[in-house]
Amino acid sequence: MIPGTAGPVVLFSLPLAAAIVVFIRPRWSVPVTLGTGAVLLAVALWLVGVVLQQGGWRQDIGGWTAPLGIGWNVDGLSATMLLLNAAVGLAGAAFHAARPAPPATARDPRFFWPLWLFLWGGLNALFLAADLFNVYVALEFVSIASVGLIGLVGGSAQAAAWRYLLATLLGSTIYLLGVALLYGRYAALDLALLAEGVEPDLVTAVAAALMTLGLLLKAAIFPLHFWLPAAHGRAPPAVSAVLSAVVIAAGYYLLVRLWFGPFAPLLGTGVATLLGLLGAAAVLWGGLLALMQRHLKMLIAYSTVSQFGYGLLVFPLVAAGAAHPAWAGAVMLVLAHGLAKAALFLAAGAIILRHGIGRLEALGGDQRGAVVAWVAFAVASASLVGLPPTGGFVGKWWLAQAALASGGYFWLAVLMLGTAFTAAYLWRALQAAVEPGWESGGEPPTLSPALGLGALLLALSAAALGLAAPLIARLLDAGPGVSG
Amino acid sequence: MGTAGVIFDGLLALALVWLAWQATRAADLFHAVVSFIVFGLLMALAWVRLEAPDIALAEAAIGAGATGALLLSALDRLVTREGRRTVLYEPGAAWGFWIPAGAALLGALTLAAWKLPAPGLGDEVLASLGASGVDHPVTAVLLNFRALDTLLEIGVLLLAAVTIWSLGRAPSPLVPVMPSPALPALGRLLFPVFVLVAAYLLWRGSHAPGGAFPAGAVLGAGAILMLLAGARPWIRSSEHGPWRWILSLGLAMLLAAGIAGTVMGQAFFQYPPGTAGPLILLLEVAAGLSIALLLFALYLRGEPCEHGYRGSGP
Repeated sequence: MIPGTAGPVVLFSLPLAAAIVVFIRPRWSVPVTLGTGAVLLAVALWLVGVVLQQGGWRQDIGGWTAPLGIGWNVDGLSATMLLLNAAVGLAGAAFHAARPAPPATARDPRFFWPLWLFLWGGLNALFLAADLFNVYVALEFVSIASVGLIGLVGGSAQAAAWRYLLATLLGSTIYLLGVALLYGRYAALDLALLAEGVEPDLVTAVAAALMTLGLLLKAAIFPLHFWLPAAHGRAPPAVSAVLSAVVIAAGYYLLVRLWFGPFAPLLGTGVATLLGLLGAAAVLWGGLLALMQRHLKMLIAYSTVSQFGYGLLVFPLVAAGAAHPAWAGAVMLVLAHGLAKAALFLAAGAIILRHGIGRLEALGGDQRGAVVAWVAFAVASASLVGLPPTGGFVGKWWLAQAALASGGYFWLAVLMLGTAFTAAYLWRALQAAVEPGWESGGEPPTLSPALGLGALLLALSAAALGLAAPLIARLLDAGPGVSG
Repeated sequence: MGTAGVIFDGLLALALVWLAWQATRAADLFHAVVSFIVFGLLMALAWVRLEAPDIALAEAAIGAGATGALLLSALDRLVTREGRRTVLYEPGAAWGFWIPAGAALLGALTLAAWKLPAPGLGDEVLASLGASGVDHPVTAVLLNFRALDTLLEIGVLLLAAVTIWSLGRAPSPLVPVMPSPALPALGRLLFPVFVLVAAYLLWRGSHAPGGAFPAGAVLGAGAILMLLAGARPWIRSSEHGPWRWILSLGLAMLLAAGIAGTVMGQAFFQYPPGTAGPLILLLEVAAGLSIALLLFALYLRGEPCEHGYRGSGP
């Protein structure tokens, strides 16, 4: 047995088991979730260490090998995504546990904890899965848990949750049609097996088109992003954090897995350029709309639409021959974005709790109780913009290197323009802190100091990711393929 | 297949497309829901024609039965008659986007399906059936070869129930007053039959079409029928009492079976040699119970009362 195979078992089983426990015994929710989160973070860190030492591996489930059985795939990409999920999951849970009790008139989100743990488990299952149908079931898991979490606060959030449900179910169904075609054509669902046998014929092309469309919808890539801002803007802060940081990244993760795995023979210049153009449009359109928002959380939500555009630039850059820096740069950006965006949403949650309102012009004035949150917001902004030495800087630097090496000056221009937009809208948010603001009568609410702390830790790790760049480069050295 | 078979299949396919069109385009929601239920029944027939009786059972019980009952009761809660008669589509969006997109998708799928060699994995499954602990290939796939999928699917059901509970309390009264006094009697008379059929399906699963999903679906549908016939929903959301345990039982047992493999030094979900047969039966009973109760819980449309309906019910 390879050392490390117990890691995926824990990462898969523990959140689901904990979800059952907190469903049956709600009063144990907070200690069980935080304890589970601490263990999951430790195991994910350890798993990254094991992958650094011995490279990735595949482990069979139930003792059956593919094509009959299902497997888990652990490599640099999946290990980093598992780590991102653990970090955001723990910070979000801590935020939710530390927030002041909602007023008696508000809906009591009693089922937050089981849904949170179910989402965690579904995401871990997805990042481990090496089988297209197993991925589909994990996607359903993630979708339904996300819908439940978005709708928890009731009111307009429930309408947003409903729209999200329709969009994400449509995405799953289209994805599943593609999976069925691939199974009918190759009698295999395993990513590595398919990668060996795929031929660029009509059936494969239709399957690839369907699965890509479904995943683009789930990753809210322009122009299929219509459902994202309301859903991410209206959910509770911890939920917005995990949705923007990890759930969207899961859709992107699958796109990368598929196009650099089974569909690699189909990735000609045309497809790659099309995906790149969608990314470029997302960067600019999302950035422009973020700049026009008046509500702090909506601004951050539109920023997610914009930032995932960078991720799609990996396709034209790799197709143009700059594989390594482009690939590592895109993954680095997704990681840095995940940590920074979760930090922004949690900080925004604390700031809005402090001021009682989310309008940008109301957030100024007296900042007692929100100082840590604003510091976290600023550090996370630095990483999102890409100031050295943050993770955002390293990711953009690698992407820029790839663009220069392959003569992709158009993509370089997109990168620059997107950075200018990011700087502009985040500056607007930070500017709001030092404006006079709206006079609130009476004392500010007393908030637990732990509220801003999770955001600060996430923001600092987004920044520190830049210092760990050599390690990340080594982790992703094996490239995007799936180990067989 | 003879000419009669081809004609039957062609008519079936045409009827399915026509019913799908009715279900999505009918201006009257009641009409749409009935079309959807008939669609589910014909779909079950189509699965029979495709020699997939397991899926046919599940489709009839869940696709037509439980989903149809849910849609009808949702319809009942739309208070105004005007609310039931809505234009479900905007002609502009329909003809400008959805209909062309749907036609393109259908065309691409038809073209692709035409070229499918469709080898499947049937031979591989049969070759490994001896080591799976059961004699029915579908059960072997669901609870041995791809047990991880089944674990996640039962997890999705539990997750869906928790999500529905999180949306609010179950409406009260759950069902409108019954116009017919015969229905409660009929419901009481039929329920033992549902239990018997479910138990039979569960036992059959090891060697023939059946197993946890159809058995759970039949039992759940029977419970829903009892409810429609005027029975009080006996399930409680209280932390005390067995209900939360039974709802979680299927997922918990599958997780335990998976972890047990690792603890014994084998792969996740690897059954110890010689125990696969009895273990699978145990897992099927647990999963079947959970599935039945989960389907029933989904039908309640919200978190049930914590401490019983006496006094608060109709």
